[in-house]
Amino acid sequence: MHREVAFRVAYVVTGSAAEAEDAVQEGFVKAWRALWRFRRGAEFRPWLLKIVANEARNRRRSSGRRAGLALRAAHEPSGEAAPSPEASLLDRERREELLAAVGALPEPARLAISCRYFLELSEEETAAVLGVRRGTVKSRTARALERLREEVGP
Amino acid sequence: MSLERDLRALAAELEWPEPPELAPLELGRRRNLRPLVLAVAVLVLALAVALAVPPARSAILRFLHLRGVTVERVETLPRAQQRPLAAGLGPARSLDDAARMAGFPPVLPPGVAPTRAYARWSVIAIPLGGDRLLTELSGIGMDVSKKFASGAARVAPVTVDGAPGIWIEGGPHVLVFRRRDGTYVTETLRLAGNTLLWEHGTLTLRLEGPLTLPEALRLARSIR
Repeated sequence: MHREVAFRVAYVVTGSAAEAEDAVQEGFVKAWRALWRFRRGAEFRPWLLKIVANEARNRRRSSGRRAGLALRAAHEPSGEAAPSPEASLLDRERREELLAAVGALPEPARLAISCRYFLELSEEETAAVLGVRRGTVKSRTARALERLREEVGP
Repeated sequence: MSLERDLRALAAELEWPEPPELAPLELGRRRNLRPLVLAVAVLVLALAVALAVPPARSAILRFLHLRGVTVERVETLPRAQQRPLAAGLGPARSLDDAARMAGFPPVLPPGVAPTRAYARWSVIAIPLGGDRLLTELSGIGMDVSKKFASGAARVAPVTVDGAPGIWIEGGPHVLVFRRRDGTYVTETLRLAGNTLLWEHGTLTLRLEGPLTLPEALRLARSIR
């Protein structure tokens, strides 16, 4: 479903659900208008994601704020007997540590990790989203992983 | 490789806000452009309709993020209790002491001269009288306070002098502070009353107490 992945890309870029929603809407409208430029036989998803990501970046820039990592690990359903918040928080230690470390990365590195690992985009799609070459995606991701290893271990 | 494996595992557990509610559509994968044009056209139309309908907008509120603050809607609130407003923030101090402890000078509404304040690194909480508490987060050491709102609580995006904010009222929600290293300050876990959260310069401010939204906004706008 392109709608979901497009929304998530926009959310990662803007850090705001409302802005991501607007970016997807605007991005899809632009994609629709630009369809005549779409090369027959080319991959559709990277092309669409690139348009949505551009729209998301523009929105974030015009809002004048810096997008942080807005992602959180899911809150486990607590059922009828809620586990003590302390216990469930401890369970999440590694996840929170990783999220905090990714959140502390410089934006280009954070976006590369988010696209490759959290959104599971291909290198080509990540390159489209970030507006860089595939080689840059590779080197940026490798450097980001190196930095994360320094922070949270191998 | 274990870092990469952990990142992939984390991906499966991430909580994403819901995308705009739309009629299910299959885009792409089609090589024939004509159905694609139709699909996108229908999608755009569906989006426009979805945005005009309040329930689609309210879906966003399941997860709201403001700098330094995350509000999540949950079915069941984590166990928490009614505790003093400044629970977990250490002993009462003078405002000067609190500023030293927090590492930044607090901002205040005009005419307010608090006799005591509470602080941790990067957080100051100042009782304003009348069961109202102003909490200020500098975002250096403890930039995330996390709230879990029950279904009964109304959560609405607001603006304070053009800056983004969130208003929570009418139902219990739980407050817990989180350190930058990802660990939670569990002793701050408590049920909270009506609350306005907003960005104020480099700070994130939080005003809690028996206030209506107009009262909270008036007080918030007066803060310098």
